[in-house]
Amino acid sequence: MLRPFELCEPASVAEASELLLRHGEAARIYAGGTELILAMKEGLIHYDYLVNVKTVPGLAGVRLDADGSLRIGAATPHRVLERDPSVSERFPAIARMEADVANVRVREVGTLGGNLCFAEPHADPGALLQVFDATVRLERKGGARTIPLERLFVGPFETCLEGDELLTEIVVPPLAPRSAAVYLKFGFLERPSVGVGVAVTLADGHVADARIAVGSVGPVPRRMRDAEARLQDRPVADSEAALAEAGRIAARASDAITDLHGSAEYKEHLVGVLLRRAFQAALAAVAGSERR
Amino acid sequence: MNAIPMSVTVNGEAHALTVPPHETLIECLRDRLGLLGVKKSCDVQVCGACTVLVDDRPVSACTVLAFEARGKHVRTIEGLAHGDDLHPVQEAFVEHGALQCGFCTPGMIMATVALLAENPSPTADEVKHYMRGNICRCTGYKRIVEAILAASERLATGPRTTDGG
Amino acid sequence: MRVEREIGIRAPRETVWDFLWDVPRLAACIPGAKEVRTVEDGKRYAAVVGERVGPFRVEFPLEIEVLEVEPPARLRARAGGRDRSVDGLVKVDLDVALTVVEDGTALRILAEIAVLGKLGTLGHSVIVRKGIEIIDRFAGAVRSHLEAKGS
Repeated sequence: MLRPFELCEPASVAEASELLLRHGEAARIYAGGTELILAMKEGLIHYDYLVNVKTVPGLAGVRLDADGSLRIGAATPHRVLERDPSVSERFPAIARMEADVANVRVREVGTLGGNLCFAEPHADPGALLQVFDATVRLERKGGARTIPLERLFVGPFETCLEGDELLTEIVVPPLAPRSAAVYLKFGFLERPSVGVGVAVTLADGHVADARIAVGSVGPVPRRMRDAEARLQDRPVADSEAALAEAGRIAARASDAITDLHGSAEYKEHLVGVLLRRAFQAALAAVAGSERR
Repeated sequence: MNAIPMSVTVNGEAHALTVPPHETLIECLRDRLGLLGVKKSCDVQVCGACTVLVDDRPVSACTVLAFEARGKHVRTIEGLAHGDDLHPVQEAFVEHGALQCGFCTPGMIMATVALLAENPSPTADEVKHYMRGNICRCTGYKRIVEAILAASERLATGPRTTDGG
Repeated sequence: MRVEREIGIRAPRETVWDFLWDVPRLAACIPGAKEVRTVEDGKRYAAVVGERVGPFRVEFPLEIEVLEVEPPARLRARAGGRDRSVDGLVKVDLDVALTVVEDGTALRILAEIAVLGKLGTLGHSVIVRKGIEIIDRFAGAVRSHLEAKGS
């Protein structure tokens, strides 16, 4: 039995923000509740007020912008992203990643915004979306700001959201031409133990751009820029050696600890393996799309 | 708000209820409406035993709040059979021996109904991907997958006609 | 889960040893510790340790038992407690060693931490990281206290 709480159903972002301001730490934004209600049921946390953002119009839905960016309402369920044609055609790695989040029931109800804001370290979207240089829009009554997604995550279960702010939109720019992204993960518990996202852009037989993000290992998902530098501007033919080195750098930088998900050494090993496989799959995807 | 009036249709029957916001859907279905076919197992939305359909979408009744079903159609295992006539998915599970203790079965069947409504002819891989969130401790899953594939064929064929056409 | 940390403190070993038994000053070095008291001098102590990870808060009333002392070089202790609201039990086995080194004392802390119950399963990774953080901060605080002292 959950402890009782009051439900607030704002009709606008401003009203939602006001409610957060008024009730402070006693209130929390509630969307799908797949993380929040679970934590509340376990008695780990309690809020006297849940602010239902599903009643605010315009926060759910996905559309393609004129410039090819994907604009995702924060209250969009994972399943919508799994199945929407714009996502599967233009951002197949994102559709694939969303299709593998948790289970179908969580995907039907749980939202991308909720997932990002709960900031559970063992999660998928926060890692992959960073290789797209995704940004997030944070709104409050009387103001809004847009920040790179990677700045949203401050620590385990902690974001940079101010007390009266809510996440309203995630914007994913398209990758450059001759690019592909891949996300691979490994886990044997309910949540992923290691997740690696990669985006690669090719030009004249060289790796013009390489982006790597690691999630589920450290306290937050983040980009591995030192590892990226090892792969950048190298001829594709030289990738093997560079990948091994990039893998070692990313593994060390991933801040792995020994816990129920495995030993630190094992996770570091997996980072290297998944990075190599994801990178090679991305290269193949670029080559494949060019043959058409 | 701390008492939410709602209309909800459950297995075709309309109900007018008032629920507190913190009541879960499983508490509403089991404790208020007596639908004990909705099983509470892991209680952390991982095992799927509590799977019910809300507007044809599979959800974990243990973690979805009851008021979220307001104005919607909820379907539980109790709503599948017509008297003694089993739903084709139920028939397929029985024929293929896709259950042993039966505890995961209501959730398995409801998830299957949702799957086949969305994807009437899934491949075995698609079945496994969709059903990944429904856990069975008894059967080893092989017969469950076979039952689902058989059910999809049965549903595609349509109701049996006496002239075999 | 095992955490091992060693730091150098610019203070004589005797001073560091005495500090470990100075309950109020030692307690001030433990992040989140409050209501620290002596139950049986040199043998049993009690403390409430509260910590926070993001929005989650836990509070453990701990009973600390000193198992073995070899003054001024080594002490072993055990602490345990049950969280006040969540199903979680914490058990810590501590092995603290002081060695004389060139410019002072090396303080080595070996902690074997077990978190049982729902908290242990649900929040295992987070708890491991927090455990490491607490020990790091504790060691750093001990050093600051001892190096700040004039005498």
